[in-house]
Amino acid sequence: MRVGVEMVVVGVDTGGTFTDFVVLDGKRIVVHKELSTPEDPVRAILQGLAALGLQDRVEWLVHGSTVATNAVLERRGARTGLLTTAGFRDVLEIGRQNRPRLYNLRQVKPAPLVPREWRREARERLDECGRILLPLEEEDVLRAIGEFRAAGVESVAICFLFAFANPTHERRAAELLREAGFWVSASHEVLPEYREYERTSTTVLNAYVGPLMGRYLERLGSALPPGVVLHVMQSNGGVLSGRTAAREAVRTLLSGPAAGVVGARAVARSAGYDRVISFDMGGTSTDVCLIDGVPRERSEGTIGEFPVRMPMLDIHTVGAGGGSIAWLDGGGVLHVGPRSAGADPGPAAYGKGGEEPTVTDAAVVLGWLVPDAFLGGAMELDVDAAWRVIGRIAGILRKGEEEAALGIMEVAEANMAGAIRVVSVARGEDPREYGLVAFGGAGPMVACRLASKLHIPAVIIPPTPGVLSALGLLTTDLIRDYLRTVMVPAESAQPSLQSALADLTAQAVRDLSSDGILPRDATFHPALDLRYHGQSYDLTVPFTGDTQTAVHRFHKLHERLYGYAEPTEPVTVVNVRLRVIVPARRIRWEPAPTPHLWEPTPIDQRSIILELHDNIVREQVPRFQRDQLGPGAILVGPALVTQYDTTIVIPPGWRGMVDGNENIVLHSREVEAERHTSGKGR
Amino acid sequence: MTASETIDPISLAVFTAALSAIAEEMGAALQRSSYSPNIKERLDFSCAVFDPEGQMIAQAAHIPAHLGSMPDSVRTALDQCAPFAPGDVVILNDPYLGGNHLPDITLVSPVFLTDDPTSELLGFVANRAHHADVGGISPGSMPIATELFQEGIIIPPIKLWEGDKLNQAALRLILRNVRTPDERRGDLLAQYAANRTGIRRLREVVARYGTTTYRKLSHAVLDYGERLAREAVRLIPPGTYRFTDFLDDDGTSDEPVPIAVTVTADGETLVVDFSGTASERPGTINTVETVTKSAVYYVLRCLMPEDTPMNHGVFRVVRIIAPPGTVVNARPQRAVAGGNVETSQRIVDVLFGALAQALPDLIPAASQGTMNNITIGGIDPRTGQPFAYYETLGGGMGARPGLDGLSGIHVHMSNTRNTPVEALEYAYPLRVTRYALREGSGGHGRFRGGDGLIRELEFLTDAEVTLLTERRRFAPWGLQGGESGMTGRNLFIRQSTDGKEETITLRSKHRLTVHRGDRIRIETPGGGGWGTAG
Repeated sequence: MRVGVEMVVVGVDTGGTFTDFVVLDGKRIVVHKELSTPEDPVRAILQGLAALGLQDRVEWLVHGSTVATNAVLERRGARTGLLTTAGFRDVLEIGRQNRPRLYNLRQVKPAPLVPREWRREARERLDECGRILLPLEEEDVLRAIGEFRAAGVESVAICFLFAFANPTHERRAAELLREAGFWVSASHEVLPEYREYERTSTTVLNAYVGPLMGRYLERLGSALPPGVVLHVMQSNGGVLSGRTAAREAVRTLLSGPAAGVVGARAVARSAGYDRVISFDMGGTSTDVCLIDGVPRERSEGTIGEFPVRMPMLDIHTVGAGGGSIAWLDGGGVLHVGPRSAGADPGPAAYGKGGEEPTVTDAAVVLGWLVPDAFLGGAMELDVDAAWRVIGRIAGILRKGEEEAALGIMEVAEANMAGAIRVVSVARGEDPREYGLVAFGGAGPMVACRLASKLHIPAVIIPPTPGVLSALGLLTTDLIRDYLRTVMVPAESAQPSLQSALADLTAQAVRDLSSDGILPRDATFHPALDLRYHGQSYDLTVPFTGDTQTAVHRFHKLHERLYGYAEPTEPVTVVNVRLRVIVPARRIRWEPAPTPHLWEPTPIDQRSIILELHDNIVREQVPRFQRDQLGPGAILVGPALVTQYDTTIVIPPGWRGMVDGNENIVLHSREVEAERHTSGKGR
Repeated sequence: MTASETIDPISLAVFTAALSAIAEEMGAALQRSSYSPNIKERLDFSCAVFDPEGQMIAQAAHIPAHLGSMPDSVRTALDQCAPFAPGDVVILNDPYLGGNHLPDITLVSPVFLTDDPTSELLGFVANRAHHADVGGISPGSMPIATELFQEGIIIPPIKLWEGDKLNQAALRLILRNVRTPDERRGDLLAQYAANRTGIRRLREVVARYGTTTYRKLSHAVLDYGERLAREAVRLIPPGTYRFTDFLDDDGTSDEPVPIAVTVTADGETLVVDFSGTASERPGTINTVETVTKSAVYYVLRCLMPEDTPMNHGVFRVVRIIAPPGTVVNARPQRAVAGGNVETSQRIVDVLFGALAQALPDLIPAASQGTMNNITIGGIDPRTGQPFAYYETLGGGMGARPGLDGLSGIHVHMSNTRNTPVEALEYAYPLRVTRYALREGSGGHGRFRGGDGLIRELEFLTDAEVTLLTERRRFAPWGLQGGESGMTGRNLFIRQSTDGKEETITLRSKHRLTVHRGDRIRIETPGGGGWGTAG
């Protein structure tokens, strides 16, 4: 890979089991894994840096953290209070009135992060234009302060109706609360957007995780050498400065899988692909995301069933991974997942006492996983245990072990194909026009088979599929999103849009300079959310300062996405958005010239189970070791490629090579022939 | 059962996934290209796939009310519009011919192997969507009516497309009868696009398997659904279980409306008999049989594992007896708009009431048992344009054995989202003055019923208000010694002539004219409690 600036940059991705490091030192890339230390994640980071000999040399650290996420999932956040407009303190608990599950008599809803007794009200009211109908009763705020203090509340969220249209009341309340020593998160600062429930939920989440995240980043910062630039991954695929991440921790809540997607995009580019689907199959779940030049985004997600309204990558997750358990339901049909054997005891093949059949065990029975090559041989797989548990379910299925194992793969792959269809077909995109970037421990094992099912013509496997998230961290830009609801008719919107945009820009410039960044190093991307009057869904189009042009773009986009437009209907401007990007200069990825082709020598032959023209056959196939494959190495299926953190299964009919950037790029003859005959090729 | 013996559990799993993907993708296509927020955001639609005999083999249902009624649509389309050719699309909303109430419009398409009319019929795809207006005496087409003709345009099963050619005359006739024709046209075209997606995808699946295997697999899928349903039925101890509950009234008089059910289980099948239920009424609370079936299937579905596929095999384990001429099987041309939303809830209540005797450790106490339908119309003084606002409100869920009921939530046959206060005040000349949990409204007990809601609105202009609500007289009952939840209340608050505030309690179904500055407060019912409070 082509690499940029001469400085020591580290991407550190803290996961549940491992903390992954990718170091960019001059032109060299170094990969390292350290066992995570969940009780104090800083320790694993320092240990890793020490192991890499970097504790004094690191200049820039980009961090993917699960501190805020785990605080919500494990409900370990700050004791949080909520102050609302009088009459509306229950909005947080009522939500949108819908129940999470239609047919489940035993369903429960998670208790709100702020219980009723810490939700207080203040008399005040604005109308939809921000005009004051009832001035703020400061005595209500002061009484709430007394009650919060008595209850031991540390952090307070404020959400008044229509505060985005006029923040005067929220500002005053925030001022009083901050003077009283509380950590405060006000809705007009976090999310100045209409819809009171989503805004309250997002603001409360920010208040709930903010103090914790602030303390964590402070500790991390003080443990690193002075002057290190610390950036933190956020859900929208960009990074934030450490300082901002502490204040707006809610932006990091869904960042977990985002770095992997950003990494997949970089890898795809380096292999010459712009349009790919990232496919990250881990132990318990699989994340997929469509990347059409840039990753697809959406404006809302959930964490622990609480909505978070923030721009984020449109990642779809299914509960099927290497550790997923196969089982039969009462109607006699085979299912795989969502229950997982996890890391402990893990699949039976781990030899730690797992007694239920998993995808990993099936892969062992099929010969796809090589027992002494797992994690570079660090963990010998227990083949007998795998055969035993697969044998048990095979007995119930009245099939042989190998056939049952292949069946488990089939069902798991059907789940994953479903996930890919959700992010492509269901959004109006044809997967046949995309490549598949496969990573995570189990992704490269099933990628080709999955691609065949979906008629995806190409599979790209990065050089380090087990640490792609950490690598992705090194390719992220600094991205800040700003928004404000205006809700005005487009024909008379121009003045209010200009003034809203001026406010957002001023705010952005202030934030940049507090991070020590000059405005000229950033690019500014204003946009508008538009809708037809009376509708309740909107589309985002770029805003170049002229509303008419934006409206024109809106009609065209509507036509493209939904198949029709109504050019004579009145259009409403819902939100003004501003995205500020400070491009990363850490790493640059470009396709490398096609290398000279050569045929590698296998390290051995393995006997594995394959499907050939719908028949199940056992065949001897060559196995290659990934670190012996350099650019230009030709690979022809059927074959196996083993490496430290994954195994690649190349089925019959697939072939490819290692490209100049060390990516393995594989193509299916069959799918390509189909494309040719159906004229689907690009 | 014979066909499925030769189908293995793996092929069946993969095939079931492929079928439900078809229904889901039809839904995604419909949602993407539909026009109205009701379909796009509230997801008030369903999509399904059928075999050539009209048996449903897969369904993506977001709305329980559609569970049983989609198959009836296909059956009437078969009865009334056969023979079919590729590209035919049948439209219908007639509740007495396969629909459930007029706003729900269904499109049914036959699926042939190819576009050649002599090619093999593979089955049908259908989708149903709730349209925001289908004409009739009030905007939104959910009036307090006394006959079907007042509720909107009635569309019997007709071919709106023949061989992919749109019948422009029929479409013009339909659109001339609704208040928002452009929106309706957009939504109908989206429904058409959804069926096109279904046809294309079903052909792909058949191409993958070949027609013979496909046939075998679709039979096996039905048997699979039946086996899962039978497992659920086996849990019910054999016996006969009776229960009666009441609707407050039908909106034309104060007379309560009894709904009675006798559930007989023999370990293999269920017989659900509604004999003893009130005769059909002049008011809007009548249901057609298909809605009654949906309520029964909803209850059965709640007893089955959560990720069960929904298909015709499931229906085989239940026999439903709904005597014609009763409110659970009204005859033409009774008004039915309210039956679909309110009576369906009470049918669920009596079914659970009966089953609670058989399955005391599983069945919850009664939930709020209403959707609290509110329609407000008038002229928006800000624009001079007419407005129509329709909302439903959540309430208390009944307590479960071992669990409290959830508060402020939609129960059983409904699950639509609210209109945010801030969205509402932008869109309509209304101000929400309170939106809160109705503390203490859930029934006491060892486990508490969920609390209802309070939603108070101030009118910023004169308006017409229609309330279609229930459980204002007959409270949601508790179980095993748990107390009832509180009944709901509809309150009207205005300044009287002497300047004092005056509060008037409204009936459960009420139409009134309000003036600027008046307020209305809806307090929704709490859920019943479970077990004696310790």
